[in-house]
Amino acid sequence: MIRMTRVRIAGPRTLLDRTLRVLQDLEVVHVVRAEIPGAHASPPGREARRLRRIVEDDEAALRSLKAPSVASRPSVEPVSLPRAAALARRTRRRAERLAGTLSALEDERVVLLRYQEFFAAFESLLEHELAWPDGRAFYVVLRAGAGDAVRRLRTSLDAAVDGQIEVLPRPLPSGETAVLILASAEVAAKVGQLLSASRVQELPAPEGLGETSLLRALPALRARLTEIPKAIAKYEAERRAVREAVQLELESLRTWLHDRLLVLEARAQAHTGSHLFVIEGWIPGPELDVLTTRVLHELGPEVFVEGVATEPWSRGDAPVELANPPLFRPFEVITRTLPLPRYGTIDPTPFVAVFFPMFVGMMLGDVGIGALLVVVAVVLRLRSRPRTTLRSVAAVAGACAAFTVVFGLLFGELFGDLGARTFGMRPLGFDRQEAIMPFLALTLALGVVHVVLGLVLAVVNAWRQGHRRQALGRGVAALMVTLTVMALLAALRLLPHALFTPLVIALLVAFPILILLEGVIAVIELVSNFGQILSYARIMALGTASMMLAIVANRMVGAMGSVLVGVLFALLFHVVNFAIGLFSPTIHALRLHYVEFFGRFFSPGGTAYRPLTHWHPSEQGG
Amino acid sequence: MQNALALAAALAIGLPAVATAWAQGRIGPAASAALSEKPELSTTAIILIAIPETMVILGFVVAVLILRGNM
Repeated sequence: MIRMTRVRIAGPRTLLDRTLRVLQDLEVVHVVRAEIPGAHASPPGREARRLRRIVEDDEAALRSLKAPSVASRPSVEPVSLPRAAALARRTRRRAERLAGTLSALEDERVVLLRYQEFFAAFESLLEHELAWPDGRAFYVVLRAGAGDAVRRLRTSLDAAVDGQIEVLPRPLPSGETAVLILASAEVAAKVGQLLSASRVQELPAPEGLGETSLLRALPALRARLTEIPKAIAKYEAERRAVREAVQLELESLRTWLHDRLLVLEARAQAHTGSHLFVIEGWIPGPELDVLTTRVLHELGPEVFVEGVATEPWSRGDAPVELANPPLFRPFEVITRTLPLPRYGTIDPTPFVAVFFPMFVGMMLGDVGIGALLVVVAVVLRLRSRPRTTLRSVAAVAGACAAFTVVFGLLFGELFGDLGARTFGMRPLGFDRQEAIMPFLALTLALGVVHVVLGLVLAVVNAWRQGHRRQALGRGVAALMVTLTVMALLAALRLLPHALFTPLVIALLVAFPILILLEGVIAVIELVSNFGQILSYARIMALGTASMMLAIVANRMVGAMGSVLVGVLFALLFHVVNFAIGLFSPTIHALRLHYVEFFGRFFSPGGTAYRPLTHWHPSEQGG
Repeated sequence: MQNALALAAALAIGLPAVATAWAQGRIGPAASAALSEKPELSTTAIILIAIPETMVILGFVVAVLILRGNM
């Protein structure tokens, strides 16, 4: 976590805007409300509202013009803002009209194409309609799988209108059945009622062709289908021409508008008197000299910068910027899923970077699954852009893959016991299938280390915040957990038995001190620590389950009678095991961190460090 | 004796599995409903859904101990 310094920048009011622009170029000052007695914030006023309206027009125009997003376009202040606003407004109207027309044409084309399939089937029936000039034609479509629906329809209509109808079915490629029903004028109304009552839906002639009869609509429909692509091409060309004419100007304007709005928001935080202004904010400590030099160079001695104080760690309102080495940085994706830690508390990312892939690797513990995970990590890396969440996930997956391979070698597993059976692979550490108790002990020992580490970090946090008593209490709790575990080991003669009595005496001494420091509630917390250590048994449980599933998959080869079927089943089981392996260990490793580890020391509630910067489309949804 | 141990192991994992399923069956819909209104609660939802799994996982550990402890 970067240590922040509070700065105050003051100067003549006439230089306020220039000062803010310099700060915007520097991109380091997180501007906050100036803490000056009697000062009050002035919300962004009429100018900001006006600029927001122009931005809205500008962005709507670019969207409707389907302008490809440009990573960054230099900010260009318009020569005349009213003219730029008029351009944005005018272009928006025109682009939205074009987009609306194109969308309607596309919709019409889709609808007509859908009709075309039905029409192709009815076309061969239309000559029958000509043979019934005084009658009425009904076009219906019966859904696929309706069995002998046509026969039943014909029978019931025949019976109702005494044979004054003709029913002509044609199958459609979709499996549905197109049916043309021709009825004499006398019975047409009755047939219509019967169809409606039996919920057989008529296919109406498409709207917009000016025809109600399918027979007459068909040529019109074909002509329309020929016209639509031409109309689309024409409007697309018009949109392209508009885009080429204004895109550059609108994008530069958008960047300038957003930049200006950011300055106005920062300006609203500043204190402005009749002659002077004061801006306050936070900057990373080492940036103070750069800021001072730059302000002096750009604005002269009339504007001065002072560091208010290098704030102590207990300062709660300082913004938080996580600063981890490149190796650990991708793991911030796990930490950032929770709210930011409060300023001055410990950023758990480095610990997550060590323990998270270790837990996942220990659960999976298989060279084959590790290799597949490497492939997943590489694919994710190739498909992601730098500094995106996906790129971080790829790095985390890579670390998990590395640990999975390492533990796979320690456990001697390659797709379960396939390595042992095929290449005579032997565990470098221990065989999880046989040594279940040592594996359980290992995971519980890891739990002790993780929980005690959490308590130690809680001590550091409390000490930094100035809560000395709480720090001592947490320290005693950590000590008692350690002493209890050691006493158990001594009782089980895994440590010299002579240590047992001194350890118990130490516990008896520590117990009242803990209650004195933390109160009776500390007893419950102490007991919950042991419950949470037991929770780490899930590493062994999931690891054993994963291994067993892999072994069962391998047994399929010999158990299915046919080798080919056995191999296919084995592959299926391994794929299922891998899919489970992607999710279950991840969720449980996360849970062990969020509940068992973070629960000891993590204090959320930090404010993110957001310096006054230039507008970046990728970061701000542009 | 072997049969009794096998039954004990089956109960050790079976009963917590039923309890876990019951708990997750109640937490899942509630979490889904919460997520539809507040997607930012996804981490909390995952943790809440994973919490009852502790029962079946510890049941599995106990079952393994019952079986392995006598081999």
